[in-house]
Amino acid sequence: MSNRANVGGWLKGKTVRKGGITSNVHTARSSTPQVQSTSSTLFSGGVKDASGRTTEYFSMDDQCPVCKSDRYLNPKLRLLVSSCYHKMCESCIDRLFTLGPAPCPICQKVLRKLAFTPQTFEDLTVEKEVAVRRRIAKEFNKRREDFFDLRSYNDYLEEVEDITFNLINDVNIAQTEARILAHRRENAALIELNSQREEQYAQALKEQEELERQEKEQRALELRREQEIEREERETSQREIIDRLETSTKSAAKVIAKSRAEAMKRSSARSTTTTVLRSNAQLLRARAAQSTVIPDPPHVPLQDDWYAYEDLYTIRDQYDDMYSDAVRKDREGIMRAGGYRVEEAWDRALRCAVAGLDLLPLPGLNPLPARTDSIVTPA
Amino acid sequence: MAADNAAKEADPQANSLTVKRPLYEGSTQYKSWRYSPEQLEQIRTSLNVAAVSVIRNTFEADEPGSSEDVLFLNANEEQLLVKLYITKIPQLCGHFRFPEEVEATAISYLKRFYLKNTVMDWHPKNVMLTTLFLATKTTNNPISLESYTSNIPKTSSSDVLDLEFLVSQSLNFEFAVWHAHRALWGIWLDLQSLPDVSEDLRPQDVYDIAIKHVRASRFTDAELIYTPSQIALASLALASPVLAERWADSKAVAGAAQPFSATLDPTLGSIKYIITQMGHPPDVEAVREVDRRLKLCKNPEKVPGSKAYLARQVAEQQRAEEKRNKKAEDVRRAVTEGGNPFGSELNEDEKAKQLAELDDDD
Repeated sequence: MSNRANVGGWLKGKTVRKGGITSNVHTARSSTPQVQSTSSTLFSGGVKDASGRTTEYFSMDDQCPVCKSDRYLNPKLRLLVSSCYHKMCESCIDRLFTLGPAPCPICQKVLRKLAFTPQTFEDLTVEKEVAVRRRIAKEFNKRREDFFDLRSYNDYLEEVEDITFNLINDVNIAQTEARILAHRRENAALIELNSQREEQYAQALKEQEELERQEKEQRALELRREQEIEREERETSQREIIDRLETSTKSAAKVIAKSRAEAMKRSSARSTTTTVLRSNAQLLRARAAQSTVIPDPPHVPLQDDWYAYEDLYTIRDQYDDMYSDAVRKDREGIMRAGGYRVEEAWDRALRCAVAGLDLLPLPGLNPLPARTDSIVTPA
Repeated sequence: MAADNAAKEADPQANSLTVKRPLYEGSTQYKSWRYSPEQLEQIRTSLNVAAVSVIRNTFEADEPGSSEDVLFLNANEEQLLVKLYITKIPQLCGHFRFPEEVEATAISYLKRFYLKNTVMDWHPKNVMLTTLFLATKTTNNPISLESYTSNIPKTSSSDVLDLEFLVSQSLNFEFAVWHAHRALWGIWLDLQSLPDVSEDLRPQDVYDIAIKHVRASRFTDAELIYTPSQIALASLALASPVLAERWADSKAVAGAAQPFSATLDPTLGSIKYIITQMGHPPDVEAVREVDRRLKLCKNPEKVPGSKAYLARQVAEQQRAEEKRNKKAEDVRRAVTEGGNPFGSELNEDEKAKQLAELDDDD
């Protein structure tokens, strides 16, 4: 317990800067002013975000509800949150809890000094909810695949939400805790499996990010080296030209031309020998290969009650057709609108050719609307 | 044969008997623009008679006795005039290089328009321009109004636009038309699937002759009586009877009483007759005569600037005025007679209770 070594640190004049490990990370990434801790607590982020990218909540009108001190007199004021979700400034915490567990001045719940964490969200209810959900998520981590059908999965989700709600709003806490315990006992194995799976996934993700970062660095390095080499070569070639002009007897133009040709040869040779850096396309393909395959169930085509004369003709792949010659020969697709397919045009023409072929014309002066005799055929 | 196939089971699993309607019967062309020759004649004559009586009355209202000498057009003469303007559409389309779809659609629109209106009310010249413009839009080959009117001499944009709504209304906003030239193309493609028809049996000139017949059929009433596939088959039969017969027979269903081509013969026969007899442009002299007479018997109400037109305008304005006054009266009454012009006040308690019942979240 590193705190013990620093107890009374402020008395001895040894103030501890906030969050020693992660402070440089914070100042590097955020622009909000960072509070400096005056006490010995060493927490770096209330919601325990492992990557250290969340910053603490900060507002100019913060005021400790216990001692009513604010930032005006006390710029290094830091309000921490108890496990019963009440705020207090660090000096009050020290004052009240240094000598052991004591009741919370607001709700009289007995707390220890360790039970205080910095605040991440403006609204304490949100803070509580996040903490509760985080805890529940660790226990109730079943996925859709663990259930037979959607119904049971939804029932499970509803139960989880119910428990969460009870915990957040202090409803039937004892009963709810019992339920959690029961669930844990029943599904211990499955929970374990799922948590391991999640860990692996997080791990894999991190590794991938690492790889990417390294590759990016590699490429940047290579590029820089390339540029260096080019510059050097240019300088040397220039110097050569000058030397040759000095020493040789040939005409100046010829000398320059010869040296230029040599420079060209050298650069082309270099480009073929450089390590082939992995192109972006290759990276994408590799990534796609790693990702899971999503199954594509066959879709049900549109069904309606219209008879489209499909049995009266069969469409072929190719027709000797002068109308669509230009479009079909157009390789670059300049003529075609998006989604145009010649087969669809042919299909439409064929359908037109057989539509209503046997429809008798209307007879006489006042005919009933004539319709082809519809015969209802049983299976 | 299609009759047997027209009824099919939709879902064998459900074991239900559903009748499937053929696709063509869902089109507006089948539902509202299909007539028998007798019906066409009746429509045209009744339209003509009604129009003549209306115009006669308008003449009488202007100056009693003036309508005695005026020789009104009869239905056939109207037909003749419309036919002339139908023949002008292909010329225009050639000038603009519109695709054949536009041409066919515009001709259809013109024919259908004059089944609902008379020539004496609306002269076909501007109606023709409007139908062509409308056809370019509905077939997805639009051009701007400016480029349209600038390419046709002595036309302004108002000539085209003024009639557009009237034309659309007369078409009952049913703009999709099935054409015979597409059916002919389909037949031509399908001929290549016939096993016994080799390439030299279907030379390109057969197709050219057939499409010429299709274009001729557009000058006739064929599309108002028969289906586009029948017209296309008839045109092919005129070009090459052998091919038409072979193709039609291939479409027959097994076990039919006679080869399919035989069942179709009467229909095809009448179409062939129509195409050959009436599928050519009308005699220009006769049309000119009709046009001359039209100038005299035009409906004066539609001619801007004439007495009847102005009188009509005045009548319309009066009606609009009356309507406005009535509305103002209603409003005034609602405001001054007390009561609540905006309705009575809400019952607060009830509302609150209702809201409380509804509120079930959070």
